[in-house]
Amino acid sequence: MLSPDEAANLIEAIAARQDRAAFASLFRHYAPRVKAFIMRGGTDAETAQDVAQEALIMVWRKAASFDRGRASVATWIYTIARNKRIDLARRAGGQVLSTEDWLTVFAPEEEDADKSVLAGQTYTRVKELLGGLSADQLVVIRKAFFEDKTHTAIAEELKLPLGTVKSRIRLALGRLRDALEKDET
Amino acid sequence: MSHPAPEELLLDYAAGALAAGPALAVALHVALDPAARRTVERLGALGGALMEGESPSALEGAPFDEALLQRTLARLDGVAVEPRPAPYVPRPGVEWAPAPLAPHLGPEMRWRRVFGGFEEMRLRLPGEHRVSLLRLEPGRGLPMHRHVGEEFTVVLQGGYTDSTGNYGVGDFAVGPGPEQHEPIADPGDTCIALIVVEKPIVLSGPFGRFLNPLVRRGVI
Repeated sequence: MLSPDEAANLIEAIAARQDRAAFASLFRHYAPRVKAFIMRGGTDAETAQDVAQEALIMVWRKAASFDRGRASVATWIYTIARNKRIDLARRAGGQVLSTEDWLTVFAPEEEDADKSVLAGQTYTRVKELLGGLSADQLVVIRKAFFEDKTHTAIAEELKLPLGTVKSRIRLALGRLRDALEKDET
Repeated sequence: MSHPAPEELLLDYAAGALAAGPALAVALHVALDPAARRTVERLGALGGALMEGESPSALEGAPFDEALLQRTLARLDGVAVEPRPAPYVPRPGVEWAPAPLAPHLGPEMRWRRVFGGFEEMRLRLPGEHRVSLLRLEPGRGLPMHRHVGEEFTVVLQGGYTDSTGNYGVGDFAVGPGPEQHEPIADPGDTCIALIVVEKPIVLSGPFGRFLNPLVRRGVI
């Protein structure tokens, strides 16, 4: 296993000295996770593996943009993998603009006092929270993240009124906010 | 922020489920609204936790592949670790443009006059949505119109008022659906907003009959 601090140290080692051993350690841990995550949306194994490889190469390229005070490594790599998945879907539609250009993940934090404190340890908190969500809430959250479906598509698939899906999302987010604000204050 | 984006839309965005047009609208709102940014960051942590916590059975379907690691390491020879990017500074003339808009504002982009005090700049994004920047002089209004599909608006400079309220920089409006609305730019700075519509709007009022064919053909 890789602790949040260890993972952050590895990314900083890549940024500081192009540390290939650090990259290999990250790859061992995260390439299977990204691949498994992408496969959940129905993507075939080969394509999911390509996404995982592209995501990990992006981790190498962008290592200097990682800020452990802002996000955990898991969150950061998730965001990269998500963008790679979007690019993959849009490439099928003939788009060339890369998602990294507009999603805010690589943008340096602006100078505001309201700095995010979603550092590594909050992963544990989020994991606890996931265990505490109702089955109804969890199914919506998992469909959104694993299958990249909009809340409208989720409502259609589950044959639920849109308002029901919205209220489940809002309740789940309320719990997420409460759980994380304990850390932030 | 008096008009935040709905949370379910922030989830769609954080999960990467939105089409390019709506995703740009949410990205601009997130860039301008610290509360929305925090929500999206929290949602990112949720996505990270779901990915990190992949079950052993799911990981069996994606075992670690030593040959893939070796191929990837070989590819790194041609990939530089990029320096930390400098903070985003908008180009002169587009000081109102948050970072996610910058890649879409090439030098060839021009404002086009639609009628007095109202200009449009159409952005080229993939997908079914029509994505435009609108520029409305203070006191000017858009003609009375209604929406067939979803519509998202983010204010980037100045502000406007319609029957649903007053919208300032960073505010996010979700199209009022079948109701008609007639936004009017507030006094002060010229109002600049990004507007994303799923389907062409339908103009009502005395000029609508003449303008609708042009809207449908994408002329205005």
